[in-house]
Amino acid sequence: MHVNRRDVLKAGAALTFAVELPALARADINFAPSPGTWRNFQMTTRLEISKPAGVTQAWIPLPSVDEKAWIKRLGSTWSTNGKAAVARDPHYGAEMLHVAWAAGEQAPVVEVVSRIATQDRAVDLAKPADRSMTLSAAERGFNTAGTALIPVDGIVKETSDKITAGRTTEIGKVRAIYEWVVDNSFRDAKVRGCGIGDIASMLKTGNLGGKCADINALFVGLVRAAGIPARDVYGIRIAPSKFGYKSLGASSEVVTKAQHCRAEVFLTGYGWVATDPADVRKVALEEPPTNLALDDPKVVAARKTLFGAWEGNWLAYNVAHDLTLPGSSGPQVGFLMYPQGESGGARLDCLDADAFKYVITAKQLPTT
Amino acid sequence: MLAPWHAPAAAAELQPVAATKQLTFTLPDVAGAAVALESARGRAVLVHFFATWCEPCREELPALSRLALRAHGAVNVLAIAVAEPDRRVQKFLETTPVDFPVLLDRDRAVAKAWHVVSLPTSFVLDTDLNAKFVVESDYAWEAVDAGTLASASAMAAGGLTAIKPINKRDSGG
Repeated sequence: MHVNRRDVLKAGAALTFAVELPALARADINFAPSPGTWRNFQMTTRLEISKPAGVTQAWIPLPSVDEKAWIKRLGSTWSTNGKAAVARDPHYGAEMLHVAWAAGEQAPVVEVVSRIATQDRAVDLAKPADRSMTLSAAERGFNTAGTALIPVDGIVKETSDKITAGRTTEIGKVRAIYEWVVDNSFRDAKVRGCGIGDIASMLKTGNLGGKCADINALFVGLVRAAGIPARDVYGIRIAPSKFGYKSLGASSEVVTKAQHCRAEVFLTGYGWVATDPADVRKVALEEPPTNLALDDPKVVAARKTLFGAWEGNWLAYNVAHDLTLPGSSGPQVGFLMYPQGESGGARLDCLDADAFKYVITAKQLPTT
Repeated sequence: MLAPWHAPAAAAELQPVAATKQLTFTLPDVAGAAVALESARGRAVLVHFFATWCEPCREELPALSRLALRAHGAVNVLAIAVAEPDRRVQKFLETTPVDFPVLLDRDRAVAKAWHVVSLPTSFVLDTDLNAKFVVESDYAWEAVDAGTLASASAMAAGGLTAIKPINKRDSGG
């Protein structure tokens, strides 16, 4: 990529260290989410527990994020042969449908229908900052604190300090971390083991691979460790990408396995800004013909776009960490992006299709 | 508390542990019964942290099971599944049965207290439950004589480091 002096000056100091992108985006790649077209979607989650053992419970995430710039909640309805109530996490406001079935119920089932309206997000970071867009001290503290899976001290802080050394602006620091995560979060053939699920163990083992809940958690932790507010946003892809990225959209109405989390950073003067380094790695890994190099034009375009923008083909559930599931005596969950269940006091395995079945479908609704 | 162990760049070997404090835990096994480390006092103990989704762990468990059989009680093996749903571990053990208790560290509390950062990680404890050796990778348990392991757990640092380890780094999860 050719970067002339004028462009650099126009973009400001924050971009002066930007990676020298080796190729121009091809003309047929136009990954440019831009707000302006709201679409309504309906998502249906049907959950069945086929081998209940005693009292059975389930917790199904409900869309809990309402931001006037990009997502509106339009409500949820449900039907079940159990007892259902909406529960709300007291720290993050994450809502879930909590369903309890009596011990004698042989075929626990629940179906939840949620509707949202959403649109693309994009912020122009080259524009002058609006200094009135700030976060309160309490909110800054909340969004820079560590969580069970995202510690912000120790090796996380050390790594963040190294990455951001010499950067003086928020944007500069966050951009440096974004580029570092994109460059380093591939599966390292030299790694010697698996992490225990938190980002400190990822950094210690050198095993920085994984999916969105790993890669974007690493990004969020490194940004928080730099003292800049950041948060994961847990959700699910609900429609194809209109920009031709097969890997960044739902491929059919069945989205049971399309859960995806993104990340936001709060940049003073710009507000909460959309980012998604994990999707850059997903494009590199999965976009046909697969295993693309980082200088492939499709990857270059995704890397450029996903710092500041994302496409509105995705539904956000919540921004919550370390949730206690109401009525459960089991451990907290690090995040709530998948339905959870318990039967006979034991947490069900959301990957065990025999005992814990769910199907999630999503469709766009006609414009009214 | 133990000092944190950073994964060394060299091939996996049993590394001496310089900690002085004893470790402890009480965890449920996959059947729901509480198992205390203290109950193993009097024999050498191999405490093995793993996860069913972690590829090298899956390959290592059968070798540990054979080691437990060879030991005839001289070495207690206790495996700890880290942060996994009970059902997933139970189902895994239906297809990969093992001859030692498998405990559930549902919230990572024990893994964190023991400064486990990567899986698999194994500790060799002496008969007083002092951690003597640690290996933060899969290991050639097939090559270990159970009697040697039991006696080496009481030896000074270095007693087992001559054993050549498996080195299957590329299979990490």
